[in-house]
Amino acid sequence: MTETSRLEGAVGIELGRQTCLTCFQLIDGLEPGYCPRCGERVAARIPEAISRTWAWVITGTLLLYPANKLPVMSVTRLGQTETDSIMGGVFTLYQSGQLAIAILVFVASVVVPGIKLLGLTYLCLTVQYGRNFNPLRVTRLYRLVHLIGRWSLLDLFLISILVALVNLGSIARIEAQSGATAFATVVIVTMFASHSFDPRLIWDRHRKVQADG
Amino acid sequence: MSNGVDPRLGYSASAWQRACHECDLLLIENTAPVGHRILCPRCGALLHRASKHSIGYTAAMSLAGLVLFIPANLLPLLTFSLAGYSGENALYTGVLALYREGFIWLALLVFLCSMLAPLLKLLALLFISAGSSWPPLRDYVAAALRKLEHFQQWAMLDVYMLGVLVALVKLGDLGDLGIANGIYCYAALMLCSTLAAANFDAEAIWLRLDAMSPQELPA
Ligand SMILES: [Zn+2]
Repeated sequence: MTETSRLEGAVGIELGRQTCLTCFQLIDGLEPGYCPRCGERVAARIPEAISRTWAWVITGTLLLYPANKLPVMSVTRLGQTETDSIMGGVFTLYQSGQLAIAILVFVASVVVPGIKLLGLTYLCLTVQYGRNFNPLRVTRLYRLVHLIGRWSLLDLFLISILVALVNLGSIARIEAQSGATAFATVVIVTMFASHSFDPRLIWDRHRKVQADG
Repeated sequence: MSNGVDPRLGYSASAWQRACHECDLLLIENTAPVGHRILCPRCGALLHRASKHSIGYTAAMSLAGLVLFIPANLLPLLTFSLAGYSGENALYTGVLALYREGFIWLALLVFLCSMLAPLLKLLALLFISAGSSWPPLRDYVAAALRKLEHFQQWAMLDVYMLGVLVALVKLGDLGDLGIANGIYCYAALMLCSTLAAANFDAEAIWLRLDAMSPQELPA
């Protein structure tokens, strides 16, 4: 590997130092405890990172089905009620000629949660079984997964705005439906999942693989 | 490393200032000069960004944000009318509507992300930047700083704003949709909140707090 020299260096856990993830204080010793500067819990690595991430990822994946299958809202216009699922809403926007907005909602509600769940699955598998991987690229994937997650709540906010705005009795009325609960829960679960993961494990695995040869 | 110095041998153990929080690489510097930032040489993680603006700037921005918070939350953002009937949407009406329909979990989530977390974030930023120079407040500032790291990810004013824009487009063909005054306060609030957080330098505050109570520094 041409990058090898850049990928090496002294590592905290090997020299008996741990880092507080809240204030980034460097602490001598590897015993879990409390940060002397900010008082937050510290450990050399986030405890149970992989099993917790797996638990959240599996929960999120199971909830994907109701989140996409069930209607997220219903629109009543002059006595006629139509229900919309996430994809139905995207399709309605597309049909009304709002291509850019349709793509925006599709990316935020479907692509982003999908990337998060697939990405975290890949991250966990890499840390547990990876043999030949570029730790820099895997770390970048982690950063992507971590940053994009919050934008998925777009659909929930949209529903809350529409429900409050269009409440004109039998003339026009928008109501939330049970799919919205499942969808919002998927987003929250994926946020917890990416917060349970510890990217330093990627580099630990990389060193282990290199040492094993 | 390029000049053949092994960092494991080249520096004394006390020279390490920090380990990268994303790859655990030990580093001998942990603060960037003002106006610059330092990235991890191995994984590229952002380790520190020293804002050009002073701590007073964060205080001013968060104070402005707090003032704007009241109209932005109480005034309607959008209006909708159809066949002589009309409805309004303010930040809190969406929460109330979801709550009344029985979606308590969703109502709580929208309340947390669009109102509570942004408010706490502004309060914390103001308290930290204004209080960090006063030694008696040291422990409270440290506690606020610690909490801020946890709840600021739940402040989603920007995502909510995008929701408002999508709603504008989506409802265009259902009835008459209008922009109400609250939206300007809301946009200004979002701007202040973003500027306050973007220029906030937690590391600089921690260094200030360290200087106040040397006995609390690790041995
Ligand atoms: Zn790094």
